[in-house]
Amino acid sequence: MAAKNVLGLIFSNAYDESVPELTAMRTMGSVPFAGRYRLIDFPLSGMVNAGITQVGVFTNSNYHSLMDHIGNGSVWDLDRKREGLTLLPPFSNRESGMSDGKVSSLYGNIGYISDSAKDYVLLTDCNIISKIDYEDMLKFSIEKNADVVEAYAEMIPSHLSKSTSFIIDENGRITETNFVDSYDKKLNTSVNVILLRRTLLERLLHEANSKRISDMETLFAKNLANLRVFGYKVEGYVKAIESVISYYEASLDLLKPEVRNYLFSDDSPIYTKTGDRTPSKYGINAKVKESLVADGCRIYGEVENCILFRGVTVAKGAKVKNSIIMQDTEIGENAKIECVITDKDVKISSRKTLCGAENYPIYIGKGIVI
Amino acid sequence: MARKPECIAMLLAGGQGSRLGILTKNIAKPAVPYGGKYRIIDFPLSNCVNSGIYTVGVLTQYQPLVLNDYIGNGQPWDLDRSAGGVHILSPYQQIKGTEWYKGTANAIYQNINFIERYNPEYVLILSGDHIYKMDYSKMLDYHKEKNADCTIAMLEVPWEEASRFGLMILNDDGSISEFEEKPKNPRSNKASMGVYVFTWEKLRKYLIEDEANKNSGNDFGHDVIPAMKENGERMFAYQFDGYWKDVGTINSLWDANLDLLNPKVDLELDDDNWKIYSRSPIAPPHFAGKDSVIENSMITEGCEIHGNVDFSVLFANVRIEEGANVKYSIVMPGTIIKKGATVQYSIVAENAVIEEGATVGMSPESMSNIDDWGVAVVGNGVTIGNNAVVAPKAMVDEDMGGAE
Repeated sequence: MAAKNVLGLIFSNAYDESVPELTAMRTMGSVPFAGRYRLIDFPLSGMVNAGITQVGVFTNSNYHSLMDHIGNGSVWDLDRKREGLTLLPPFSNRESGMSDGKVSSLYGNIGYISDSAKDYVLLTDCNIISKIDYEDMLKFSIEKNADVVEAYAEMIPSHLSKSTSFIIDENGRITETNFVDSYDKKLNTSVNVILLRRTLLERLLHEANSKRISDMETLFAKNLANLRVFGYKVEGYVKAIESVISYYEASLDLLKPEVRNYLFSDDSPIYTKTGDRTPSKYGINAKVKESLVADGCRIYGEVENCILFRGVTVAKGAKVKNSIIMQDTEIGENAKIECVITDKDVKISSRKTLCGAENYPIYIGKGIVI
Repeated sequence: MARKPECIAMLLAGGQGSRLGILTKNIAKPAVPYGGKYRIIDFPLSNCVNSGIYTVGVLTQYQPLVLNDYIGNGQPWDLDRSAGGVHILSPYQQIKGTEWYKGTANAIYQNINFIERYNPEYVLILSGDHIYKMDYSKMLDYHKEKNADCTIAMLEVPWEEASRFGLMILNDDGSISEFEEKPKNPRSNKASMGVYVFTWEKLRKYLIEDEANKNSGNDFGHDVIPAMKENGERMFAYQFDGYWKDVGTINSLWDANLDLLNPKVDLELDDDNWKIYSRSPIAPPHFAGKDSVIENSMITEGCEIHGNVDFSVLFANVRIEEGANVKYSIVMPGTIIKKGATVQYSIVAENAVIEEGATVGMSPESMSNIDDWGVAVVGNGVTIGNNAVVAPKAMVDEDMGGAE
C-alpha cells in the first residue's frame, strides 16, 4: 500500500538550537551528514520511497542552504505539476500571536494542508537518524483504526533535549505521555514522527489557536483521552542528533557495517543533490582504514576511522583520525588531526596539530583557516 | 523574439565500436563506461553545455537502449530545456520507405528537418567516441573570424599513427590545401578529430547533393569534405592541443582510464570551470575497511573495499573482498571480486563476479612471448568460477566454471 494518500510535512528547523555550531549558517535539515547527504535527505527520501507524492517543508530561518539543496525537488522526483515539493517559509500570523513553533508553522499554512485533500498528514523533524518505514506506519494506523500514530523507539532519552516518553498499553495504545525527567533507563521515547488524519489536524490547530497552545506535545496530551492515539515502534538504528557530540557519534556509527547497511539498503535508497565530482583519488602512500569517503577527495596521507565529505584533500604526511571532515576541507602536509569536526571549506595548514577527545570533539567552523 | 540558437550540435552516437568486442555487445560505443562514473558520451555532451551550446541532437542507431535510457531528458547535463535541449534522433520510417543511417553524412541528411526547426547559422558535428575537453565556442569564433564554410578541429598525432586518421595539409593562413582520408603514406601528421563546424546553409546544400550522388558513401570524411574542397569552399583547420583519445580498442580504453591516474597526463576531470557531468549513481560514499590497501587509484561512491587496490579505476558499487588483489585494472559498476582473487591488467565489465581464488589477466613482464599479452576482458554479468584462470588478451562473455 503506497502512501499516496498522505501529505508529508517536514520541520527543517526543529531542534536547531541543540547544535548551534552546525546550524549557525543553516537549518537542521541542511546539516551535512554521512559524507554526501544533508539530514533532510533521510526523511524526504523515506517519504518518496513510501510512495508519498506531496511534501511541504517548513522553514523558519537560515534556509538559504536548504533551498539550494532541495531546489525544485527533482532529485526526489518531486518536481511535479500536481503536488510535489513546496517550501513553506514563515507565514506571519498577526491575529494568532502564537510563538515561533511547530503549531504556529502548521497553523500559518493550514490552507496548504487542507488544499492537499489527503486523508493523512505525516509530520517529521530532521534530527533523527533512522529509517522509518512510513508505509508500514500507515498500514499500522489503518489496522488500529487510529486517529493519531506517534513513532517511538525504546531508548535512553538524552538529557540534552526535551524528550517525551509514552506509556503504552498491550494494544499499542498510548495511555500517557510524559516529559522525560530521568535519563538512566530505556523508555518509549518519542522520535517526533506523527501520522494523523488531516481533518483531525485541522481541528486541533483551530483549537490550539483559540486556546493559545503553542506546542504539539501539549496539544496531543490534552486530547489523549478522547482520541485513539497509538504508538508505532521503530526498530533498528535510531539516534537523535541533539548535540555536537551526538552528531559526532552518529557519524562514526556509520563505520559499522550493520548501521551503514541498514541506512543505505538497496530497496530504500537515500537520494541527494549530486555534486558532479570525480571519483576519489588515492595517491602513492595513501593509507585509508575504516573510513567512509565521498567522491572528489584526494588522499595522499593517512586516514583512519573518519568520514570524508566530497572534495576533501589530505596532503602527504598528514594523519587524520576519528574525525568528520566536511566538504572541500584541505588538510595540509604533515598536519595531525584527531577527534575533530571540520565544517565546509576549512583549511588546516601544514604541520598543525589539532586534537579533541572522543567524548568532546573539537568543532571548526565553516571557512576557518588554521 | 524567440531564443534562436546560433549553433546547434549533432552528435553521431550510432557507432558499434566493434573493436571493443564484448564490451559493446549490448551497448553503443558512446555508452561505454569510462573513468569511474562516466560514459564516453558525457565528454561531448558536457563540452557542449560548457561551450554554451544547449541544443544537441544525438543520432543513435546501434543498440540504443542503454544510451537512450542514460541520456533520458538530459537533466544531468542541464539539457532538459524548454528551448532546445537534448533530442534522441533514431532512424525513422518515411513515406518513401525506411532507411538506416547509411553513413555519417546521411545520418545528418535524414535529420535536416530537425535542424531546420532551429534554423541555426552554424552546425557543429561531433562523434561520441573520444575522451577530450574542448571549448567548441572558441572553434566557432575561429570559424566566424575566418568567414569559413567548414572548420575542422585538428590535432597533431605521432607520425606512425597518422595513417589511421583523416589528414590535412595546411596553407599559412590555416586554410586547408589538401585533405586525405586515412592515406597509406601520410604526408602530414595534422589529423582531423572528427569535430566539424559548418555554416548550415552550405552544409545543407552539400548534404542534398551528396544524397543525390549514387556513388557516394555518404560519409563526411570520404565524401562531403572532399566535395567541398573540390568546389573551392572556404575550409579551415582549428588546432586543438589538449588531451584527446579515441577509445576504440580494448587497449586504448584501458590506457585512457589509467591516464587518469597519471599526474603527467593533461586530463583533469576535477575542474570546476569545465565539469564533466554524468548521471550519478545513487550510492553512499565508498568504504575502505580495516584491511584495505588502496594506492594510486580512483574509487567511486558505493564501493566497499577490504582488499588491495593499486593503479586501478573502480566504478560505483564495486566490492573487493579481503585478500583480493586488483592491479592495473578497470572494474565497472556492481562487480564483486571475492576473497583471494587476483585481477590484473584487465577490464571487468558491469555486475560480474570473480569468485574466490580466480585469476584474471597477467602482467606483460611475466609473459614469455610479449605478443601474447593483452588486456583481459570479462563481460557484463559474467561469473568466473573459483580458482579459474582468465588468460591475458582473453574476452570472456560466458560464465566460466571453477577449477581445483
